[in-house]
Order: sequence, then structure tokens, then C-alpha cells
Amino acid sequence: MSLIELRNVSKIYRTGNLEVAALSDLSLTFAAGEFAVLAGPSGSGKTTALNLIGCLDQPTSGQVLLEGRDMGEAKPKELADFRLQHIGFIFQSYNLIPVLTAAENAEFTLMLKGVPHVKRRQRVEQLFEELGISGLEDRKPADLSGGQQQRVAIARAMAAEPHVILADEPTANLDSRTAEELLALMRDLNNRRGTTFLFSSHDDRVIAQARRVIRLEDGCLHDDTGPLS
Amino acid sequence: MDALRLAWRNLWRNRRRTLITLSAIAFSIMLLQMSHNLSFGVYEQMVDSGVRAGAGHMAIYRNGYLNSRDENLDFDTGTLVEQIEALEGVSQVLPRLYIPGLAQSSRESRGILLIGVDPDRERQANPFLRNMVDTDMLRGSSSRDAIIGWRLMDELQIKPGQKFVVTAQHTDGTLHAELLRVRSVVKSGIKDIDSSLIMVGRDRAALLSGQIGKVHELAIILQKAKLDRQVFPAVAAIAKQQPNIRTVGWEEAMPNLANAIKLDYTSSKFVFLIILAIVTIGVVNTLLMSVMERMREFGVILALGSTPMKLRGIILVEAGLLGISAAALGCLFGSLATWYLWAVGINLETFISGTLEFGGVVFDPVMRAIWDINWMIKIALYVIGLTLLAGLYPAIKAGRITPVEAMRHH
Repeated sequence: MSLIELRNVSKIYRTGNLEVAALSDLSLTFAAGEFAVLAGPSGSGKTTALNLIGCLDQPTSGQVLLEGRDMGEAKPKELADFRLQHIGFIFQSYNLIPVLTAAENAEFTLMLKGVPHVKRRQRVEQLFEELGISGLEDRKPADLSGGQQQRVAIARAMAAEPHVILADEPTANLDSRTAEELLALMRDLNNRRGTTFLFSSHDDRVIAQARRVIRLEDGCLHDDTGPLS
Repeated sequence: MDALRLAWRNLWRNRRRTLITLSAIAFSIMLLQMSHNLSFGVYEQMVDSGVRAGAGHMAIYRNGYLNSRDENLDFDTGTLVEQIEALEGVSQVLPRLYIPGLAQSSRESRGILLIGVDPDRERQANPFLRNMVDTDMLRGSSSRDAIIGWRLMDELQIKPGQKFVVTAQHTDGTLHAELLRVRSVVKSGIKDIDSSLIMVGRDRAALLSGQIGKVHELAIILQKAKLDRQVFPAVAAIAKQQPNIRTVGWEEAMPNLANAIKLDYTSSKFVFLIILAIVTIGVVNTLLMSVMERMREFGVILALGSTPMKLRGIILVEAGLLGISAAALGCLFGSLATWYLWAVGINLETFISGTLEFGGVVFDPVMRAIWDINWMIKIALYVIGLTLLAGLYPAIKAGRITPVEAMRHH
């Protein structure tokens, strides 16, 4: 059984009388442990596909199956629970909660899961160590650089040990060196922990690091390298 | 605990806006507590003045007397005075005879209300007599001394020390007259009293009307007004020993004062409601603005796995914290304001000259607050409830968004 499966998925956005097809009849499968990138220019449907895989949106037609379960039948609360238990998110603009410290941001999903404070803090300290941001636990996001914020966002995504991490243009706001460092870090986490990473990106550095590249154009599958060894 | 911490920090995200809203709510609570306590302090003063000069905290009458004021509806005090005086909480029992009649001087005549009182008892309670010097007081219950209203004295064109005659109907149906001498003058500030009052000893009044040992009213003064619920049943039980008499509270005995207070407090309540409505609008505005500003963040929180219900909970906790903080601050300032008004008060003589009368009662020109702690707590809880209610709409609105829509929000 594949971890993620998109079956003939289409997504149409309606604005007044105008209909825009963001995805058309897209079918894809991802196995556990993949390090894949959805590549393509702006408007190609990368983010829409990630949103559907992340249960943040519903397809207009077709099915999204996660761990064999058709998510189109799930209720909002079930979707929220599924996201909490199985999916981690990394966003382009980090999206840390400004009133929380770095450690509290990283703990956020564990807090939602009801993990006790001491255990949360232990887990986050360990992740901060791995991600090279030890000592920044008590800083607010506004006091961190872009790279540091994205590392905290990775820690937040990793904290609850999800099966899959979805990263929407994670390097778009970072300088080259930081972007490469973070990609190496995520690849290392993928290697060591077996966590599935699925990116959307048009950044060649990300594409070069991926083991599988899926190219989208105008909402359609253009090319899929398949899992590379 | 985590939700509390998050909500507290969110509340202070826009420090200035939260401070303004918090101050507005706290100021409203202070205003409500202060004005309520001051109003009730003034009402208590009025009731105190009213009951001492009038019918007491409670009074005993013959059935039908209150409505008709028929001077034939008297009753024998027997041992009522002694029995009631022995009750815990009772300060004084004042037997009174009310006799309508005609006062005549050598120049003028006027319709009057002659009140027969026990001078020693009355002096301890009646605010008109309390500050009188001994030489101005009635010399015994059967003396011919009379204390009269200053207007009546002017109208009769007499002076202290001069004589006048009061004529009234005797119980035998004939007209009886008594020669009285002006001992002193009362200036109550109430026109009706100043132009018709003649106070004499009860025995002298009884000689005039033939109602020896009888009274029309037994006014009962309590040590504290709050004791009325406790004392009333005991007094009523004693009064029941005699047929045809009944015990009434001051509200029934002095409906003018009771209605004036009710009317005044009703208008205050209307103002209170307006203040609370303004507070609610302020809180809705603050929370709604705060929610609209954080739509993107809510999208992230939902994406990370929070349920809409948890998100609503965070916003309601913010509303609750705003309410609790404002209530605490409001109670602090409300208590300080009440303390000032209780200890120092507001002297109305600075603003108004002349006697202050309300509902037929003259009251102290220094308005002082009382401490109504229960009401202060109640209003603080109301405001916390209102802020939670005001937080419902923003919370529901935030809970309805989808993560994708919210994250597109800028």
C-alpha cells in the first residue's frame, strides 16, 4: 500500500463566473521514505497538489488516499486529527506564531496532541540540537534570521514524528547557503529517520537534491522521474 | 495552561488597543460600582432620615388607617411598646397620635396636623429634634409646649413663647380646644411639614382628642436597616396579639419615598445598560479586529492540526482573560472610588443652596456611598460574562475558516 495516492484528481477554483483549473486529472503515488519534489513554474498546481495531499483542501473530483484512506469522506475534525497525527508542514514564509518563543513554536503540535510540557521540551531540545539551533529556544521569531526561523519550522514539523512532511517552497525566502544547508539537513533526516519529504519548488537546488522529481505544467503531470536510487 | 498562556500573549500583541479596551471596560465597571454604591448610600441616608422622621423601618397601624387617615382608627398600645423594644435589633419604638385640627392665634387660623409624641423617645430618633438644645424641647408629655413648623408660625404671626389655640374633634363628637405655647420651631425644608406641623406631648394630644392611652402609629426604628427582614416577623407576631392592627414595612408606610427611590434607581439601571452595551461593542470590536489580523496565523494553526473548536476556544479564552483583567482592574478602581465616597463623600452644599428634599424626605447634603460588595462582585461577573458573549462572534467566525482560505489572507 502506497503512503499517498492521488487518483484522477482535479481541482477547479471558481471566482464569480470564472473557473480556473488548478489541477487536471492528476494521478500520483508516493511510497513511505520518499524525498520528492513537485516542480514547475508558478501556477503549475504544485501548491494545490500539496494542499490536497495535506488535507487542507478537497479535490473537485477524484480521490486523495492517505495510508489507504479516502480523505474525501473525512469530516473537518477527522482531517484535523489526521494532519496532527500524520503530517508535518513547512511553509515558504515559515509561519511561526509571533507571540510564542522558538521552543514553544516547535512544541505547538505536541501541545495540540496533549503531550506533557516536560516531554515536549525534551523532544524539542533534541530536535534543536539536531538542527543546529540550540540556545535559541527562548527567542521570539522576530529575533531570528530567516534560516533560523525555517529550522524552527522544520523542528515544528518534525516534533510530532509525522509520517510525511510537506514543504511548500521551503527555500524560496532563504539565501543560497542557508537553503543548501537546510536541504542537506532535511535529506539527512529523511535518510536517518525515514520520514517522507514532499516539496513543492521551482528552485533548482531543491530539485537537484530530490530523489524523485515530478514536473507539473498547467495543472497536469508533465514528467515523473519515479523514485531514483 | 498552554491555551491560557497563548491567549494571554495574543491579548497583548497589540498592546495599545488592548490597553484602551481594558481601560474602557475597567472604567465602566468602576463607574457602575461607584454610582450604584453612591446611589444606595444616598437611598440609605434618605430612608434613614425618612424612617426616623416618619413611620420608622416598620410601623403598626389599625387596619384601614394608612389608606383613610381616619383619626378614629386608633389602638391601645398595651404592652406592645415594651414587648417590641425587648426584641433584638430594635432601637426605638415611637408611639404617635395624629390629630387633624385648626390652629388659631389672635390674628390668623390655619389647618394643622397635631402630632402627639413621647418627647424623650422621639428626641433620640427624630432628626428634627435630635439636635435641639434642652431648652427648646417639650417639657413632658402633658405640658402645653408645642414645637411648630416655621411657616405655620409665620402664617399664624406668632413667635416662640407666644400662645395659640388648637381645636380638634373629641371622640365624644364635640370640639375641644387646648391652649398651647410655642416652645421651639422646626425648619425641615419640606413645605408640608413646615406649614402644618405641631408636635406636642402625647398626653396633651390625648386630652384634646380624648384618645387616652391610644395611638395611631407605633413607629419602630431598628439599629440597622438591614435587620428589617429579621425583625419584621417578630414584630408582626407581637402585633397579632391584638385584633385589627397590622405591621407594615417602611415602603408601604411611606410610598412616596419608596416610589421616588424605585424611579431613581430604574433610571440609573437604564444608564447602566447603556454603559454595558458600549462595553460589549468595544470588546466585539477589539476581538474582531484581533481575529481579522490573525487570519493567516489561524490558517497555520488549523493546518498544523488544531480543530476549529480548539481555535474558537483560544479566542474565547482571550475574551475571558480580557474580561477577568478588566474586572479585576475595575473592581480595584471601583473600590477606591467607593472608599473615597464612603469616607469623604460629595458635599452637595457646594453646588446647591437650600435644603435637599427627595420623595418628601430631607436628606444630608453630604452624599456618601455604602459598600455593596455582593453587587460589586455581581457586576464584575456580568462584565466577564458579557466579554465572553462578545467573544462568541469572532470565535465562531475564526472557527468557520478553512486553512487554505485563511493562509491566503494578508
